[in-house]
Formats: sequence, structure tokens, C-alpha cells
Amino acid sequence: MMDTEEIKSLIPQRVPFLMLDRVVEIKPGELIRAYKNVSINEDYFRGHFPDTAIFPGALIAEAMAQAACILLKKSILDLKATLFYVTGVKVRFFKPVIPGDQLYIIIKTIKMTHIGGIFETEAAVDGKTVAKGEMTFACK
Amino acid sequence: MPKVDDLTLEKELREIIAKIVELEPEKITLEANFVEDLGMDSMMALEILAAMEKKYKIQVPEEKLGQLRSLNDTIKLTKEYL
Repeated sequence: MMDTEEIKSLIPQRVPFLMLDRVVEIKPGELIRAYKNVSINEDYFRGHFPDTAIFPGALIAEAMAQAACILLKKSILDLKATLFYVTGVKVRFFKPVIPGDQLYIIIKTIKMTHIGGIFETEAAVDGKTVAKGEMTFACK
Repeated sequence: MPKVDDLTLEKELREIIAKIVELEPEKITLEANFVEDLGMDSMMALEILAAMEKKYKIQVPEEKLGQLRSLNDTIKLTKEYL
């Protein structure tokens, strides 16, 4: 298990852009499971949307990317990279995520190298898939 | 993995590359340079490598990534691991 302090030691994102609260499982080279507790207190709900709070799909993709970065760092131990750039995202969103939901992120490795990785990504709430796709990112 | 004949390999790899660089397969000639002629970047090359591995159930070390410069190179590299 990994808390927010340890998460922060591995990725450069910070509040208000830290999209993971906890990592529950890592199998280096293979997969990572993490979650984010979605709270109504988060500022973007003021505008997304004023009458109906929906967790932005772009932030689900961001949570996926952050989990993938952690997996990459925990898998390639001599990786010197400190910055990560998303270069490709193909994600479908199936169901809205709302305040109170615990957003589970499951990332599986397709290919990992020192210059970046390709990952199969999934997000789920209460065991039901809410988004699924593939993501490629470069690191420097 | 059964051996793939040269023509099939060329056709399949051309389709994989075309899909990743979002170009018509005809544009992917054997000699077209991925970066200069097709506008590819290193992450697209990585996607091609991953697609080759998946399609042919092979494993190519990341050090070989720099060798992917054209369809011709991609065919050669794939054959090394088939």
C-alpha cells in the first residue's frame, strides 16, 4: 500500500492536480491498482457542472496517467525521468463519476521502456467499469 | 507462431504502421523514412514495436527501437525475432 506522501515522492503532480489518494497494489512490470476518493469539496465541481456535479473524464484520464507513471517508476528502477508527457490517449467513458464515488484505477502494462510506456487503462466504481482505454506516454 | 511469408509480413506491418501514423497504407513505402517522410516520433515508434510484439507474439528489446526507421527496417527486425 502507498499513501499520498509516497505517491508524491514518485510523480511530480501536486494538489490540486494529484488524482490518486492511495495505491493498493503494484506488480512491477505488470499492473497497478490505485484509487481516488471523489469529493464534492473539489473546486472543479463549481463549474463541472453548476447544477450537476460530474467528475471530468479528462481527470479520469489524468488519474490513469498518474497511476501508469508510478507503475513505470516502480518497474524500471534506474529510470531517471522526472517529467511525463502523455502522447496518446484512447479512452471510452461509460458512466458518469460523481462526488462520493471511489474511483478505482487499474493499469496493465502493454510495453514499458526507458523512454516511456504503453498501458491498458481502466477505471471502475463499485466494481463496474466507468472508463477503459489505452494510453501512451513519454518520460524525460 | 507459424512462419509468415514475406509478402504477408510486409502487408501486415504496413497496415500496423499506417494505423499508428494515421496515413493511407500506400504512403508507407518500403523506404519511406518514418521521421522525415511520415512525421513519426519516438513514441509512435514505441507503439509500432508494441503492436509488432502483440501481433507476432515476439519480444523485442527496447535497444532495438532506434532501428525502426522504415518499413524495410521494421520487416527486418520482426524477422529477427520470428
